[in-house]
Amino acid sequence: MYPLNWGSQGVEAKLASLCAEAVDALKSGHNILIITDRRLNREHVAIPALLALSAIHQHLVREGLRTTAGLVVETGSARETHHFAVLAGFGAEAVHPYLALETLTAMHAELPGDLSAEKAIYNYIKAIGKGLSKIMSKMGISTYMSYCGAQIFEAIGLKPELVEKYFSGTATQIGGIGVFEVAEEAVRLHKAAFGNDPVLARMLDAGGEYAWRTRGEEHMWTPDAIAKLQHSARSGKFETYKEYAQIINDQSRRHMTLRGLFEFRLDPARAIPLDQVEPASAIVKRFATGAMSLGSISTEAHSTLAVAMNRIGGKSNTGEGGEDKNRYRNELRGIPIAQGTKVSEVIGADVVEADYELQAGDSLRSRIKQVASGRFGVTTEYLVSADQVQIKMAQGAKPGEGGQLPGGKVSDYIGKLRHSVPGVGLISPPPHHDIYSIEDLAQLIHDLKNVASTASISVKLVSEVGVGTVAAGVAKAKADHVVIAGHDGGTGASPWSSIKHAGTPWELGLAETQQTLVLNRLRGRIRVQADGQMKTGRDVVIAGLLGADEVGFATAPLVAEGCIMMRKCHLNTCPVGVATQDPVLRRKFQGRPEHVVNFFFFVAEEARQIMAQLGIRKFDDLIGRADLLDTRKGIEHWKARGLDFSRLLHQPDAPAEVARYQVELQDHGLDRALDVKLIEKARPALEKGEKVRIMQDARNVNRTVGAMLSGELIRHHPDGLADNTVFVQMEGTGGQSFGAFLARGITLYLIGDANDYTGKGLSGGRVVVRPSLDFRGDAAKNIIVGNTVLYGATEGEAFFRGVAGERFAVRLSGASAVVEGTGDHGCEYMTGGTVVVLGKTGRNFAAGMSGGIAYVFDEDGQFSKRCNQTMVALERMLPAAEQTATQDPAIFHCGQTDEVQLRRLIEDHYRWTGSLRAREILDHWEASLSRFLKVFPHEYRRALGELNARNETAATIAKARESDKPTVKA
Amino acid sequence: MGKITGFLEYERLEEGYEPVDKRLKSYREFVIGLKEDEARIQSARCMDCGTPFCNSGCPVNNIIPDFNDLVYRDDWRNAIDVLHSTNNFPEFTGRICPAPCEAACTLNVNDDPVGIKSIEHAIIDRAWNEGWVVPQPPSSKTGRSVAVVGSGPAGLAAAQQLARAGHKVTVFEKNDRIGGLLRYGIPDFKMEKSHIDRRVEQMEAEGVAFRTGVLIGALAGDGKITNWARETVAAEQLTQDFDAVLLAGGAEQPRDLPAPGRELDGIHFAMEFLPQQNKVTAGDKLKGQITASGKHVIVIGGGDTGSDCVGTSNRHGAVSVTQFELLPMPPEHENKALTWPYWPYKLRTSSSHEEGCEREFAISTKEFMGEKGKVTAIKTVRVEFKDGKMIEVPGSEQILKADLVLLAMGFVSPVASVLEAFGVDKDARGNAKATTEATGGYLTNVDKVFGAGDMRRGQSLVVWAIREGRQAARAIDEFLMGSSALPR
Ligand SMILES: Cc1cc2nc3c(=O)[nH]c(=O)nc-3n(C[C@H](O)[C@H](O)[C@H](O)COP(=O)(O)OP(=O)(O)OC[C@H]3O[C@@H](n4cnc5c(N)ncnc54)[C@H](O)[C@@H]3O)c2cc1C
Ligand code: SF4
Ligand code: SF4
Repeated sequence: MYPLNWGSQGVEAKLASLCAEAVDALKSGHNILIITDRRLNREHVAIPALLALSAIHQHLVREGLRTTAGLVVETGSARETHHFAVLAGFGAEAVHPYLALETLTAMHAELPGDLSAEKAIYNYIKAIGKGLSKIMSKMGISTYMSYCGAQIFEAIGLKPELVEKYFSGTATQIGGIGVFEVAEEAVRLHKAAFGNDPVLARMLDAGGEYAWRTRGEEHMWTPDAIAKLQHSARSGKFETYKEYAQIINDQSRRHMTLRGLFEFRLDPARAIPLDQVEPASAIVKRFATGAMSLGSISTEAHSTLAVAMNRIGGKSNTGEGGEDKNRYRNELRGIPIAQGTKVSEVIGADVVEADYELQAGDSLRSRIKQVASGRFGVTTEYLVSADQVQIKMAQGAKPGEGGQLPGGKVSDYIGKLRHSVPGVGLISPPPHHDIYSIEDLAQLIHDLKNVASTASISVKLVSEVGVGTVAAGVAKAKADHVVIAGHDGGTGASPWSSIKHAGTPWELGLAETQQTLVLNRLRGRIRVQADGQMKTGRDVVIAGLLGADEVGFATAPLVAEGCIMMRKCHLNTCPVGVATQDPVLRRKFQGRPEHVVNFFFFVAEEARQIMAQLGIRKFDDLIGRADLLDTRKGIEHWKARGLDFSRLLHQPDAPAEVARYQVELQDHGLDRALDVKLIEKARPALEKGEKVRIMQDARNVNRTVGAMLSGELIRHHPDGLADNTVFVQMEGTGGQSFGAFLARGITLYLIGDANDYTGKGLSGGRVVVRPSLDFRGDAAKNIIVGNTVLYGATEGEAFFRGVAGERFAVRLSGASAVVEGTGDHGCEYMTGGTVVVLGKTGRNFAAGMSGGIAYVFDEDGQFSKRCNQTMVALERMLPAAEQTATQDPAIFHCGQTDEVQLRRLIEDHYRWTGSLRAREILDHWEASLSRFLKVFPHEYRRALGELNARNETAATIAKARESDKPTVKA
Repeated sequence: MGKITGFLEYERLEEGYEPVDKRLKSYREFVIGLKEDEARIQSARCMDCGTPFCNSGCPVNNIIPDFNDLVYRDDWRNAIDVLHSTNNFPEFTGRICPAPCEAACTLNVNDDPVGIKSIEHAIIDRAWNEGWVVPQPPSSKTGRSVAVVGSGPAGLAAAQQLARAGHKVTVFEKNDRIGGLLRYGIPDFKMEKSHIDRRVEQMEAEGVAFRTGVLIGALAGDGKITNWARETVAAEQLTQDFDAVLLAGGAEQPRDLPAPGRELDGIHFAMEFLPQQNKVTAGDKLKGQITASGKHVIVIGGGDTGSDCVGTSNRHGAVSVTQFELLPMPPEHENKALTWPYWPYKLRTSSSHEEGCEREFAISTKEFMGEKGKVTAIKTVRVEFKDGKMIEVPGSEQILKADLVLLAMGFVSPVASVLEAFGVDKDARGNAKATTEATGGYLTNVDKVFGAGDMRRGQSLVVWAIREGRQAARAIDEFLMGSSALPR
């Protein structure tokens, strides 16, 4: 704190004296320093806690005293998790958010749920703690100690001098405000707090950071912008669209985005007539809609986007979570949609609430199929139906954090598509369990390319410092396409403490990506898409100039469909049927493909007009021309003055012949795959469904065996073939991803062993691995398959006579597997299917498991110690008769008793692998059975019960749905 | 937020009206406001939208989702504070605002909007009853003085804001009572005048001085504009005596209908007719009041002023009341896909219409006909619109009986002589010329003279007048003090 009348200029002196005081205190024997703003008053303004903390922290580091001191921050300004995270990241060993706590004490009585003040505070602290561990885990840091002072932040909109002095080591790319502006912000806030604004006399500022208020913070989506966009999309009036674009581009100029601070370098001499610019219909082909999953938005909203994008030749995205086969099957079979066909006739009247007629040749298929860490619904058929497969590495708005779908939104339909249990919430934690390095990513790209050989493989990255290097790695890993997704948040004009997200605006990431790729001569091989709050033609042109071949849109097309930015998506109460699964609300959906089509044509038209002014005929010629951008003259806002975009607008130093946009295709080496041979030999099966037996050596250089064959099979037979139609017997060592995405009708029978990712994404086929005939050891004690086996398997069977590595059956959602032992983290995040382990498991078994069942043979009686029981119960196995007598069949896994299922699987295991362990167990069945434990997820049990209850009351519900307003009338 | 699923559970409930036969017998308000528990249920319908279109649809930007939530949680005390933070006079708007907020309400997309106005009404009525509306005199005075010309909602809102900011404010009104059109225009059955009196009392306690019967500048004209001034103060005098002047004199110049026979007796502007009744209702004695009693009345003009003439005529005991509108009948329902969240063009039936009235659309007056200098009938013709042009339908002439004709075709502009007295520039429509920009807004070309309300924007609504008054107050405060803490 320092006297208010020093003004913002006083801050430096005070910081200097704070640092000196800190040193004195330590030298005089104190070892805990409390940095506090508690005593601020009308005459004394507080220095922002983070600034004071970091100044002292860095000073002590420089003086070599930091390790002798503990820093405690006592501040009224810390409220949200992010505030704590930043304080910790810049050196706070402890934080005391006294104002937050006092507020809770004052208001606990008004909060729902009869809280005592203590309980309210307890909950708050717990929530902050959870948030922090989430942030830490996504940054890969496991203790507070190592997070503390780790400075894993990038500053946006801060002057280098400021950062150097008080936050040294933090990246800041575009300059921005200095220490005096930071102080000025504090002074203004102080004056508002102690001022006599009559509105604020007895209440708080209406705010508006999270929701719009006329006098609150500015948002891009103002009511007028939303209304104009919708009216233009519905009426097809370009004039109305221009009013919309004007509002947005103006807002954007009012410093809400980086691109708002740019200007085009227009030169009337260069301008060309509009008709010389390529047509809008060519430009719209570069547009894609964002990855919004069915589940987060309604079937109606999702399929309408798909129809629209297909009409204009752009691409829509499934989002995470699978896609209804009905949306693409006929198309793949070559049966087109006829004029006047209703949406409900394509995907079923039971899943469509707002129906309309389609045009001839329409398609509901999402051309982009997303593969996220959850792998929900990622089947061979799903992949084969893609024009592009997108590996989601991170999500722009919440990089490093996975998606979440609350149980309430997992309807029967969604559950079916995701191969999960309706009513059970789904989490996609950040890591892909098969990507821990760029080599792993290359492997996944290879796997996907094998299955979906006609699709391009895309990797979605989040914009952040260093994304250029990652993108170069992605290009080298043979991705055909990369998405740079931005968050859209503060610039120099927002108080810097309020930059709430991780990640940076796409402008930064895109520019860096373009520059790095061009310098490394990789740009020509990979297509680049920019994504994040794109709204107008101006945005599209700027994205092009900074290096994008394509542009992704998310919110704007949703608004065109009727979204009114309720920001209530998570409550399932979206009143316009966009972001809800509630049938009553979905019936209110009024969006039509033509609205979205109109919108995109308008955007392209606006882009064309700008291109004409710039004298650019084709979009390709626009790409990477950052020289046509200029920083806006006279950036007026007091906080925006220090920004410096020269690095952003830098043109890489590369010879003219180096490509600036995508011109060639990656070489995936598919023609060298073993599957080419397999496909040849399997022709009779593929074409006529005849049985074939193939003998083949297995070598670990052959990666992803079976995937291309499966892709080919599914293209011919979407439902697969009869069991064992294609039987491939192999001997040797299977390479990585052996049997990945194996389709129904194929059995890979391997005598030998196999590497990591065996059976990844198994889609109905069968993988059997048994030890080589020469093997003399105890199979039940030896590793036979590598790590991350059966990751995301949706269907099929796997029998491994031996022990699997770590992360066995992670994210399994439907297949059955028998194995004789596993490494750590077995069955993690499993959502369905059946796993039988005939021996010892590693630690942390069943962590995060929400569905399916695992039966574990508890050899040493210690299994319960190795099982993570947070989400599951361990139950004794009951003989079939006893189970039938004592349990409600409603909660039977797959409708059968445990004994029946278990026994059948072990018998099959024996049959396929000749397992001695299986034989032994079967020979002493009764005794063995009692040594098995059933791993039963709580969520699954609850959902099974509810599912059953639901079926019984289905009739009642159907009745209730007949009226839109079923309950109380006022 | 109120109740997450409230909008799915509860239906909209309109405020009640007393039965027609009962309400025709008096000039008292006949709207029966929501009971408290009803209001709570209505507020539960609010979805607390992430983008609350109501908030921007309301000209004073009432923070609607917040007060809805407070009402739902039974916290009326804070609800009135939230409401007062943006609106000086919710008891006016809660009664006579056409509620553009409700047209903008997100629920209106495909359902009935939240009954925002009725909730506003309930909040302020309760606040007055509880004694929560008390004077808020400034903690310190600035020593600066401001003259406000005109005591309509614009002038009143500005005066209250300025007084609370510590300025010495004097309101000048040419008529004998404070309130502008609220007082002498809008009939008592829509809004009783005691509401104005209460506010005046509050404002006096906050330091506002009121001077009625004082005309500022000059009033040229034919005496058709209500003017009960007893003295006149010159414009120069005012600019000399005060540090700033706000012109909020409304848009009083009525639109005339120059058809043959216009000079006949029995043809009056609405604004001759309505103020007289308000005066009489207030207990004043009036000689020769224009009355509709026992007459065939024709009201020309299909808007709200016309409606008020219809309601008043019926209360007088007219034999028949017919209302003319030049334009064809608007559609009964708007196409919400293209109108929401904006104010839609559609057929509106007011409570006065329900009390008995013939409505004629696409009709034009050709001639007033009379006997002995008194109007007895009107000659009309049907009209059609083709490509924006009006054409008469041949052979559709008709003669209608009329003993009283009321011209309610809106207002052209402020009275020019008032603006001219100050030397204030006019815009193309004759309004005082000033912008609404955050800096330099509301200031006219004349130093320290500001303009707001109908005088600046032309004929409009009470809620717009309040907005303008508030914003002008901020501009004046900034002008006087260099900066202002008053909200915009
Ligand atoms: C019959 C009628 C019904 C209406 N109904 C509604 C309704 O239901 N809802 C709604 O929202 N709006 C309604 N309106 C519109 C609304 O009343 C006006 O828009 C609003 O009152 C304008 O406020 P104001 O303060 O700008 O001006 P006014 O209310 O017109 O006030 C101006 C005041 O200034 C005084 N004045 C003018 N010149 C001078 C001068 N030189 N010296 C001293 N005093 C002067 C006038 O006498 C008058 O009292 C109605 C209007 C009319 C005519
Ligand atoms: S003042 Fe009018 S527009 Fe504003 S909330 Fe009240 S009724 Fe709605
Ligand atoms: S728009 Fe309607 S539902 Fe939404 S916040 Fe406003 S009043 Fe509530």
